[in-house]
Amino acid sequence: MGFFELLAQSMPLFLMGMRLTLELSFVSLAIAMVIGIIASLMGMSSVPLFRAINRTFVAIIRGTPLLVQGYFIYFGLTGVLGIRMTAFTAGVIALSLNAGGYMSEIFRGGIQAVDPGQTEAARSLGLSKSQTTWRIVIPQAIRICIPSVVNQWCITIKDTSIISVLGLAELTKMGSQIIARTFRSFEVWIMVGILYFIVIYLLTVLARIVERKVSLD
Amino acid sequence: MIKVEIRDLHKSFGEKEILKGIDCDIETGEVVCVIGPSGSGKSTFLRCINCLEQPTSGTIKVDGHLMDENAKNIDELREDVGMVFQQFNLFPHLSVLDNITIAPILRKKMDKPTAEATAHELLTRVGLADKADAMPRSLSGGQKQRVAIARALAMKPGLMLFDEPTSALDPEMVGEVLDVMKKLAIEGMTMVVVTHEMGFARQVADRVLFIDGGVIAEEGTPDQVFGAPKSERLKGFLKAVLEAS
Repeated sequence: MGFFELLAQSMPLFLMGMRLTLELSFVSLAIAMVIGIIASLMGMSSVPLFRAINRTFVAIIRGTPLLVQGYFIYFGLTGVLGIRMTAFTAGVIALSLNAGGYMSEIFRGGIQAVDPGQTEAARSLGLSKSQTTWRIVIPQAIRICIPSVVNQWCITIKDTSIISVLGLAELTKMGSQIIARTFRSFEVWIMVGILYFIVIYLLTVLARIVERKVSLD
Repeated sequence: MIKVEIRDLHKSFGEKEILKGIDCDIETGEVVCVIGPSGSGKSTFLRCINCLEQPTSGTIKVDGHLMDENAKNIDELREDVGMVFQQFNLFPHLSVLDNITIAPILRKKMDKPTAEATAHELLTRVGLADKADAMPRSLSGGQKQRVAIARALAMKPGLMLFDEPTSALDPEMVGEVLDVMKKLAIEGMTMVVVTHEMGFARQVADRVLFIDGGVIAEEGTPDQVFGAPKSERLKGFLKAVLEAS
């Protein structure tokens, strides 16, 4: 069986895997953005307890591997709490907490990178704290954050492959299943790699267009 | 009529006391220039007036209202105190027009057409009628600062604070900004100007404050301060400034 024949034969499985990879990525990243925003606001809060919660959260996420986080949620937590959870749910929780932790640092960095003079100018005009935050600081922080956020999206899309160990038939898992039947490791991993590459490449192209659109330079 | 009343103003940053007891009244319509060596507390003094810095102790009243960062009405009180910064601080994501209209629209609930009409008038006044749709990054330093002045004036403040407005400008652009400020002074605006432009202070100020070491070391009319300085510190400062220019 030649390369293209193998490819054609495997395509239905690849597409199924790809679909799950994209679903995992999309749902996790959407939730991660919300977690990131809330966590970053907590990190910059004047309430010491909120800052402590944020610091602890980020430290745990950064300090432990995603694989361990996934196992802990899917097997550890469900066992102790006596709850049942699908592998997909556990994967989404692990990925969104993980990406959310990194996003919160990205957002905090972006907001803190806005020149304090901007806040002073807005406040001196009489704008309230929240008007200053939403009209002046956030629009500038978003522009600063875009490259790092896109970077995190790429990382998380690829991290879904780690979550395949929970038994999710996403793209990487599909690859190993096809190999189990065909013993064509070399070609199949190239195909899997190319499929990830295409998704990420399209995303970065899109991001570059957006970035150029909103750029101030 | 007294516009600003400052009593025993102290400000410390950590252990370091920057302002060590300042008393000062500013009359409505008065133009006060503040001079002094760098690090003397001039800018801190100015920033306390609209509460960008909260005083450590002492009081500042504008039109009899206490300026306090934690006051419920601090946003409204600031609306009446315009400020122009050394680094312009234009909002880079907004056009020149939006820079000027954002505060009137958000704070004074002015409708957009009215706010824009006012903004166009102000831009004409500062000589930038054709720059309404420009983005701040495309402007020169002098143009940015004139937009910043227009932005502050859009709130129709009763008091304008200028924090070294020409210090970040290339020399050839200093004049255009000072001209706008002179016009404002002639029109009767109450102004407090921290500046190194001794010529401007001499020509435009009603009163000059010399701040040194966190206190008003000497004050008087421009003729008194520049023509007949009394203290050795002021004499030394003026000598150093004149030699530099």
